[in-house]
Amino acid sequence: MNKQKKLILRIISVLSAGLFLVPFYIMLINSFKTKKQLFLDTLGFPKTFDFNNYIVAWERLEFLKVFFNSLIITVGSLTIVIIFSSMAAWMLQRTKSKLSTFIFFVFVASMLIPFQAVMLPLVRIMGKLNLLNMPGLIFMYLGFQSSLSIFLYHGFVKGIPKALDEAAIIDGCNSFQIFWYIIFPLLKPITITVSVLNAVWIWNDYLLPSLVINKEASHTIPLRIFFFFGEYTKQWHLAMAGLTLAIIPVIIFYFFAQKHIIKGVTDGSVK
Amino acid sequence: MKSKGKLMVILSLVLVFGLLITGCGADDTKSTTENSSDENSAAKVKVNIFQFKVEVKDALEDAAEKYMAENPNVELKIQTVGGGDDYGAALRSKFASGNEPAVFNVGGPQDVADWKNKLEDLSDQSWVDLAYNGVLDGVTVDDKVFGLPFNQEGYGFIYNKSIFKKAGIEAESIKSYAELKAAVEKLDSQKEELGLKSVFAFPAKETWVTGLHLSNAALSNEFENVLKAYESKEVDFKYGEGLKKLIDLQADYAYKPDGTKGSLNAVDYATQVEELFSLEQVAIIQQGNWAYGSIAGIDKQVAQNVGFLPMPVVGSTEDSIPVGIPMYWAVNNAKSKEVKDAAKDFLSWLYTSEQGKKIVINDFGFIPALRGYEGPELEPSDPLARDILKYSNQDRTMPWVFMGYPSGWGMNVLGTNIQSYLAGDMTWDQLVKDSQKEWAKAREE
Amino acid sequence: MKKNKLIFWAFVGPSLLAFTLVVLAPLLMGIYYSFTNWNGIAANVSFVGLDNYIEMFNDSSFLDSFIFTTKFTIVSVIAVNAIGFALALLVTRGLKISNFLRTIFFMPNLIGGLILGFIWQFIFTKGFAALGELTGQGWLLGWLSNQETGFWGLAILLAWKMSGYVMVIYVAGIQGIPEELVEAAKIDGANAWERVKHIVFPLIRPAFTASLFLTLSNSFKLFDPNLSLTSGGPARSTEMLALNIYKTAFTFREMGVAQAKAVIFLIVVGIVTLTQVHFTKKGEVEM
Repeated sequence: MNKQKKLILRIISVLSAGLFLVPFYIMLINSFKTKKQLFLDTLGFPKTFDFNNYIVAWERLEFLKVFFNSLIITVGSLTIVIIFSSMAAWMLQRTKSKLSTFIFFVFVASMLIPFQAVMLPLVRIMGKLNLLNMPGLIFMYLGFQSSLSIFLYHGFVKGIPKALDEAAIIDGCNSFQIFWYIIFPLLKPITITVSVLNAVWIWNDYLLPSLVINKEASHTIPLRIFFFFGEYTKQWHLAMAGLTLAIIPVIIFYFFAQKHIIKGVTDGSVK
Repeated sequence: MKSKGKLMVILSLVLVFGLLITGCGADDTKSTTENSSDENSAAKVKVNIFQFKVEVKDALEDAAEKYMAENPNVELKIQTVGGGDDYGAALRSKFASGNEPAVFNVGGPQDVADWKNKLEDLSDQSWVDLAYNGVLDGVTVDDKVFGLPFNQEGYGFIYNKSIFKKAGIEAESIKSYAELKAAVEKLDSQKEELGLKSVFAFPAKETWVTGLHLSNAALSNEFENVLKAYESKEVDFKYGEGLKKLIDLQADYAYKPDGTKGSLNAVDYATQVEELFSLEQVAIIQQGNWAYGSIAGIDKQVAQNVGFLPMPVVGSTEDSIPVGIPMYWAVNNAKSKEVKDAAKDFLSWLYTSEQGKKIVINDFGFIPALRGYEGPELEPSDPLARDILKYSNQDRTMPWVFMGYPSGWGMNVLGTNIQSYLAGDMTWDQLVKDSQKEWAKAREE
Repeated sequence: MKKNKLIFWAFVGPSLLAFTLVVLAPLLMGIYYSFTNWNGIAANVSFVGLDNYIEMFNDSSFLDSFIFTTKFTIVSVIAVNAIGFALALLVTRGLKISNFLRTIFFMPNLIGGLILGFIWQFIFTKGFAALGELTGQGWLLGWLSNQETGFWGLAILLAWKMSGYVMVIYVAGIQGIPEELVEAAKIDGANAWERVKHIVFPLIRPAFTASLFLTLSNSFKLFDPNLSLTSGGPARSTEMLALNIYKTAFTFREMGVAQAKAVIFLIVVGIVTLTQVHFTKKGEVEM
């Protein structure tokens, strides 16, 4: 019975995984085709594995350079988002006051604001503050991502017994010590979730960097990939190769991070 | 100790943020957006160019290198926006952020009106006298010229010469709607032998093809030029019947993904040009000379064997193709004199010097909008561009007036109405009435 | 007391400041602009009162896109959460390939929304067509050429993209459930469904609140894939609210009207989502 169940589960898993992979399959096979082949036979396997698209895409993207730009922006934003929003969430959850509730409410409600509604005034303000390009972008991600992150942390902090905080106060810890040495480690599972969700968002974002970054030297990967999408037509074969290049490092990272997620979750549940 | 350090970091960040906020309030009153320190700090004159044509990005950067080699005191920085659609949004946000480019692109009368406070008068530039008749209309206000034309572009019915030859059709003799229709019917009757899926590929999804370009054939006969269209309070559809005929002809004989006319609304540029036409599955498409690169990207032989048929509007011009200026270069008048002079000099150099002209023709693949591009080295290399010059020389062109339509009207009103018409959700009369109503409404304000 | 306040601001301040500058201030400026004739360029704007709001209500495309967006949101929220939760259960069953599966289900999020739309457009128009011609299935042809296929195209895209996302949140919730509880229930003879119903559901209520909220706001605000998949077409029949606002601003160049729409949009979304949060939160179990 149990074995049979496991088998069914496995079959379902493999089938659904296959379904999820179809678009990636299409991306990958078409990255090896010439433009003509791509139109003649969209779903089929490429006749020859020609890496030419990858060579062209690599050069046109200046891949190494833009990869590091994307990396700096993502890691930089992520670090400050994690630190500041976990702090804020903990404080907001633990402080029972009208002000605290109100601030949390504003953060959460703002997740509903469509980016398009604030886009133009935003660049106006940031331009005046001289907060453009990479530093400005990182600062803006703190502003945009803190809502979601605080929201997620807030939910998790609720699950951490208040008794822990109180015990630490008795031990003579100040608020910062309590947070860093006791609370923050317990937040690990949700920290990883928050990191992953934020990282993919920042890594892939197109609209905000396109408005804020005005130096070619600071371009991120998505900005460059759009050079394959011209006024009239799209260089599908190059775009597919470029996309594959862009995704490989993220997948490697994600596989690597998976291990830590498991570890993080087990660490967190040992209370 | 450790936590103290962290505390310090946090407190200093709070302090910095606090300063930023006050900085915001103090700065807000200043209306100037010019960032002069940026330009004076280095000895070089920095000119930022913000342009939208991804297709010429690399060639333009090479041109800038060459210019800088000759003019070491100038530093040109070129930024290109990808994806086509977003240029207007990106440009607005550039200006909003105070990071104004020195050189940018404007499309026509509406852009000129929107940006009029930012546009430098370019009337004294040497290229003004070289411009062909009418090409500066869209950017001239009160006899002042505010833009340098990018290039000329033209469109019509691109046809595959070898298919026409096989079918025994004399393309050169097609100069009216009746003759075009006869040719289409003849092709249709031989579909199988010619290996065609259908005669046309009609990309109703691309509302710029239908709502701007196709409609222009009829409306340019109604309005004469772009300024008249821009100033007109209403649209008559005087040659609406001719427009309907052109839409119906293409739709009737087009490749339809699921057999219904409504499914034409999913056919896009890539399907039309790169797939159906370049793979020789259709014989005629309504497109412009820019399609050459797309066709050549698929099949170089097909690309060498193409030409333009006219777009015959019944009741009006039947032997012409629409030729016009897609975009203009503009100079930001808020910049310092040195920057503006350098910007103007670069543009003149690009379009009028011997070296620049070669770049414009050979590297950009442009059809010039200025005189003085004679000589064997400056012949356009692709057959579509050559055909457009031929039509120009025979005086068989009509102007582009769609830049003078109300903002968004062409693509998002007429173009989408054509989609509803094809899907059977709207009759032709409803299409005309609704489009007229929306035009008048947009002009009210 | 004073010290407490200082500590409070030290913790909350940095996020709040960035947030104020990046979100709140522009939002307020935007609301202000909704009462003016601002065109996005000129520095001098004049006050026009409620004109923009009146014009907005006369714009039938706004109402159309409102209805479309609402329908889309209902379908996607249900689909994404159902699939996401099912996937979360699947990958927490201790199968050897669980990690691998998690990676795969989450992978769609590694591609940005605009490009995702392009890829799916390619699949719907080219891939489906090829498959349809191969198998003779007529319904696979002509996708994205009418409102119906455009709607389902968007729904499929979002379900594919977001299911893995909410799965991650559900997984965090499920793994937060103490192992002993599940074991105890097993010993008590509860079957798999009973365990899910009586233990998993109540204990992941916070995760459920979060996921519901996220899917609700994400599908209501959907923009990037809408722009690249259908661009609102054909005949503006698949134009969602965010795209409608964007087009009002940049295609029709009516910045004031666009800002007015954004304000109304915000109010509606706010009411809907906060009501949802209020009701789902009621049932959460406090630990």
